[in-house]
Amino acid sequence: MKKLFIIIFISITIQAQVKVEEIKSFTLKNGMKFLVYENHSIPNANMYLFFKVGSRNEQIGITGISHFFEHMMFNGAKKYGPKEFDRVMEANGGSNNAYTTENITAYTDWFPSSAIEVIFDLESDRIRDLNFDDKMIESERGVILSERNTGLENNPMEELWQTVQATAFTTHPYMWPVIGWESDIKNWTKADLQNFFHTYYAPNNCLVVISGDVKLDEVKKLAEKYFESIPKGPEPRKIHTVEPEQKGERRVFVKREVPTPYLLITYHVPQTGSEDYYALELLNDVLSNGSSSRLYKSLVEEQQLAIEIGTYYPKAFDPTLFYFYAITNDGIKSSQLENAIYQEIDKIIENGITDSELQKVKNQKLMEFYRTTQTINGMSNTIGTYELFFGDFKKLFSAPDDFKKVTKEQIQLVAKKYFNKENRTVGILFTEEEK
Amino acid sequence: MKTLLTILILSTIMNAQFKLPKYETYNLQNGLTIYLLEKRNSPLISLSFTVNAGSIKDGENFGLASFTAEALKFGTASFSKSQIDSTFNFYGSELSSDAGYDFSIVSSTVMKEYFDQLFNVFSEVILKPKFDEQEVIKRKQRWIAELEQAKESPRSIISYYFNRLIFAEGIYSNPPQGLKSTIEKITPEMIRSFYEQNYHPEHSALVIVGDFNSKEMKNKIESVFANWNPQSDRLVYDIRYQQKSFNKPRVYLIDKSNSFETTFMIGGNGIPMSNDDKIKIEVINTILGGRFTSWLNDELRVNAGLTYGARSRFASYRFAGTFAMSSFTQTKNTEAAIDLAIKTYNRLFEKGIDEATLTSAKNYIKGQFPPNYETSNQLASFFVQKFIYGLDDSYINDFEENINSLTVSETNQIIQKYFPKENLQFTIIGNASEIERVVSKYGEVIKVSIDEDKF
Repeated sequence: MKKLFIIIFISITIQAQVKVEEIKSFTLKNGMKFLVYENHSIPNANMYLFFKVGSRNEQIGITGISHFFEHMMFNGAKKYGPKEFDRVMEANGGSNNAYTTENITAYTDWFPSSAIEVIFDLESDRIRDLNFDDKMIESERGVILSERNTGLENNPMEELWQTVQATAFTTHPYMWPVIGWESDIKNWTKADLQNFFHTYYAPNNCLVVISGDVKLDEVKKLAEKYFESIPKGPEPRKIHTVEPEQKGERRVFVKREVPTPYLLITYHVPQTGSEDYYALELLNDVLSNGSSSRLYKSLVEEQQLAIEIGTYYPKAFDPTLFYFYAITNDGIKSSQLENAIYQEIDKIIENGITDSELQKVKNQKLMEFYRTTQTINGMSNTIGTYELFFGDFKKLFSAPDDFKKVTKEQIQLVAKKYFNKENRTVGILFTEEEK
Repeated sequence: MKTLLTILILSTIMNAQFKLPKYETYNLQNGLTIYLLEKRNSPLISLSFTVNAGSIKDGENFGLASFTAEALKFGTASFSKSQIDSTFNFYGSELSSDAGYDFSIVSSTVMKEYFDQLFNVFSEVILKPKFDEQEVIKRKQRWIAELEQAKESPRSIISYYFNRLIFAEGIYSNPPQGLKSTIEKITPEMIRSFYEQNYHPEHSALVIVGDFNSKEMKNKIESVFANWNPQSDRLVYDIRYQQKSFNKPRVYLIDKSNSFETTFMIGGNGIPMSNDDKIKIEVINTILGGRFTSWLNDELRVNAGLTYGARSRFASYRFAGTFAMSSFTQTKNTEAAIDLAIKTYNRLFEKGIDEATLTSAKNYIKGQFPPNYETSNQLASFFVQKFIYGLDDSYINDFEENINSLTVSETNQIIQKYFPKENLQFTIIGNASEIERVVSKYGEVIKVSIDEDKF
């Protein structure tokens, strides 16, 4: 993350305000694809550039380099040298950010629509001719060490998360954190960065989404003028590593002085867009979306076992993890909370969910869609996410039918299929191990 | 290259100016203020109820306003807590309630087709709460555990320590979320009494923004809120707060012995919300620490690589405010980072601001302004602020003119008048055994442990 964490929400719709035909698409000769959504409600626009590269494209020794690279994209190119990208953008009323995940790297520009050509100029300069200044590499290394440190200092769960991920995965690159291991951060070289740029930052590995107060014709003209002459690159190497099936529970303990234990439980599950994806996505909401969700209501409010609880099913190109995370209430042992979570899971496996719960999570999905699509930023992020993770942004508009088809039985079935002991990794972080 | 850059920087952006959309405001007979704004780009309605009572009215019961706001959802005349939660969730919504320093707020975003069902529950939560004793006991226990856990994140609590240093025993020194010892003492009777003394129509506003018809909406509001006539007297507060100046630099050192990073805030007095120069001060703060290329971020992050981010801000309340620069760095870099922050800050007084930088900051603020008012929720927040702080519509409508009118010579006057130059106040959280000696050079040290139940 250049500055902040941004969470990507994927949403569905039953009666979308935005129509599929309002999103226009074109592809340049070099393979760079553009999606454009015109909306003139405010005199602003944005440009989201998604590169299909993240920490899953790394190896041991250069872990964290996709994220480091994301930072280096702001540190100077041919026309605009170090610092000028941000200076010129801000002087023209724009601001920007970027984020890196296991799967993708996204660059985001927000600007008054009158500044659109400046943005094209800035973006094309760094994609065509990024430069690596030795001094900037060193100061940026310090920035990233601070980013890593501040995450760990302020959030004990992050420390546990890294350990559990590295335990649940033994083979696939999802095993290391996006920010990278400290010793790799300290040792990657300029040559690593140059190599990375040539491998992944070609126009054919990039999707551009533009929303807001713009005209399609103008966007097309600018895209041709600034981006079309950037040469196409070779197709990046496919990730062929498959995580072997987990055949037994794994448990890890992290020693850290905290008031009450932190708990993280994961199960291996299939990737975004797979056959079981929609049922798992709704199950995620049944478990933890809102104050009436199963886990919150039972474990936080009724039994008072936790002060915080949630589940998370990340968007991923490859098979991933389904996370249960919680902070234990005062006076409660981590084992009590852990067992209570299993009891809630077992209730779903044995009895399934109710009609009313199914309707509720479908309504929550609809609300999420309305909330994300009411801003031009939400639109760009959602369109881009669907295009990347589902292979086609139009899936955003068919998602209502895809979710509607999910039955109570399917939700029960995926709970049964994936939430079993052999497939589980459990992490506990506390001052001392429970006796 | 240089020429191009100069041209880009010096041109002032001329945009279609952003104006506040047309809205309606009126009072019910009982004094309740209503704001209605129809906005139809998405089928949502944003609902906010605010009352002019925040933690500054807690007295010695720190956390009482916040707990009362939360306790509104513990059950009403017709609905149990569980029914309130499940009704909102079933229709895809969530009901939230909270209190800050100056006001309390209950809010939700709802789909228009379910408005009636949810407005019914929403209004009962405000008008007929029960403050169920069992729910209060349960929530208190978790609240206290949460307060303890919150100290695991220095970044998210440092401003409470900073406010204690700036306001001493004054009204904004009390943490809105309370302390373990004060939450422990809260009873359903205290909550009821806070509610009865403060939740009155003449002190409150209802803000509705979104996809609805105003004529129909007025009838719905009338039928529910017109009969709201509390029997109890409202408590009239006489809050006059005079900010004190500081006669020496001080360092509030909070020892967190397992820290590997130092988190700090440096500053002093700021301005209240009503200050006429607020927007102009914001322009200067943008240059100092309000954007990525700001002086603080450029020096501490980009040039020195000491931190992931450095910034500055004015936090403004109704009767007072603070100014602070803030950042964090590895323990061993504490002195280097704080020294550099101070040195960078002094540029404001020594060199001032040049024309190109001022133009850039003006363009930046204007360019980033419209997305602040894009959604129904964002517009509703403006009306809440308007009601609580007396913000005028001209804040939005004349925003650009105000920004444009700022000249280089005026920036110097603003800097002298509002940015504290002498006797800076430091709040620092970190491993005291490693940093106490270093930070004592900045001023008189007041040391506490993060484990103490205080800010």
